[in-house]
Amino acid sequence: MHEYAVVDELITSLLPRLETIPGEVSAVFVRKGELRILSDRALENAFELLSRGTRLESARLVVESVAAVVGCAACSYEGASTYYGDEGGHFAIPVLACPRCGAAVSVVCGRELYVDRVAIKDDVPPSGGVQ
Amino acid sequence: MHDVRFKGEDILGRQLELAEANYKKLREHGIRSVSVLGAIGSGKTTLIERAIVRLQGEGLRVGTIAADSAGDDDHRRFLAKGACSVNINTQDDCHLDAHTVDHALDDLPLGELDVLFVENVGNLICPADFPLGTEREIVVISVTEGDDMVRKHPKIFAQTDLVVVNKVDLAAAVGVDPQRLVADYAAINPHGKIVLTEAKGGRGVDEVLALLGFPCTNTQW
Ligand SMILES: Nc1nc2c(ncn2[C@@H]2O[C@H](COP(=O)(O)OP(=O)(O)O)[C@@H](O)[C@H]2O)c(=O)[nH]1
Ligand SMILES: [Mg+2]
Ligand SMILES: [Zn+2]
Repeated sequence: MHEYAVVDELITSLLPRLETIPGEVSAVFVRKGELRILSDRALENAFELLSRGTRLESARLVVESVAAVVGCAACSYEGASTYYGDEGGHFAIPVLACPRCGAAVSVVCGRELYVDRVAIKDDVPPSGGVQ
Repeated sequence: MHDVRFKGEDILGRQLELAEANYKKLREHGIRSVSVLGAIGSGKTTLIERAIVRLQGEGLRVGTIAADSAGDDDHRRFLAKGACSVNINTQDDCHLDAHTVDHALDDLPLGELDVLFVENVGNLICPADFPLGTEREIVVISVTEGDDMVRKHPKIFAQTDLVVVNKVDLAAAVGVDPQRLVADYAAINPHGKIVLTEAKGGRGVDEVLALLGFPCTNTQW
C-alpha cells in the first residue's frame, strides 16, 4: 500500500507548481517506468481520496507506462530490454541482461515516475448572445 | 482544454535526495551498509544476528537499525549479539523511508562503526520503491513461502542482485525444491546472485557475507 505514500508526495509537490496556472485541473498525467512496483489502480484510488479538499479534487489521475530501455557497457547496445513472461503473455518483465551479448545492463529508462502534464479546463468564453 | 507540461522531476525526488544524503553520510564515516528486505518471518533478523557475530569475529564494529511495526524484539536480539542498535517503529507504514533512517543515523555512534545493517519492515513489495541510501540491498525469502515465490514477484527479483533463500533445512518437510527458486531467479535475473542458507544454524552465511564484500577468514564461529 505504498501507493498512498507516493500519491501523497505527488500532491504535495504538485500543488505549489500549479499556483501560477489558472483554471480547473481536469487530469494529472503521470509517467511510470515499467520497472516500478506500483499498481495503477491503487494509485488512482489513492489520488481520488487524497486529493479531496485540494485544487485537484475534481481531477483524475492517468498513469501512462514508459517502456524499459537498457544500456550495455560491453557491446554498447542501447534499446529495448529482453522480457521474461508467462506463456499466455499475461505479463512481461524486463530482464536486466543485454539482448545482444547477454552482459549485465544498466537501466536507461524504466524506473521513472513523474508528472508529465496536467490538463486544464479553459473557461468557456462568454457567448455573443446568439445561438 | 489545454495541457501544461512539467519538467519531469521524480515524484519521489525528495526521497531520492534523502537517500543520497544517507549514502554520503555513511560513506564519509567509512561505513559499509546493507539493507535487508523480505517477508515477515523469512529470517532477516536471524541472518543479521549471524552476520553480527561473524563480522565482530573479523574485528569489525557492527551497527543495526531494526524496523518493525511495533515492539523492539529484533532490536533486543541485535543488542544481545553486541551490535550498536537503534529501534524504529513504523506503526502502520508498510515500509521504512530515507528520512526515518536519517534520524536513526543521528542516534548511532557513526564514528565507531564499520558496518551497518538496516532491517526493513517485513514486507517484500512496498520497500522496493523507497531507497534508504545503503550501499547494498538483499532480499531474504524462505522455502516455507513456497517454490513459486520468485515467479510471483518477478519485478522485485529482476531488480535485486542478491537473494537469500533461507530455511533450506525445512525444504523437504514443506515439499519445496530450492533449485526451482534458483532456476526462476536465473531466468529473471541472469546476473544476480542467489544463496541457499540455513541462517539458524549458520549455514551459507559466510557465502552471503563474501558476496556483500566481507570475506571471513576466522574459522572460529
Ligand atoms: N528452521 C529454520 N528456522 C529459521 C531459520 N532462520 C530463521 N528461522 C526461524 O524463523 C523464525 C523467524 O525468523 P526471524 O529471523 O525473526 O525472521 P524475520 O521476521 O524475517 O526477521 C524464527 O523462529 C527463527 O528462529 C532457518 O534457517 N531454519
Ligand atoms: Mg525481524
Ligand atoms: Zn551487450
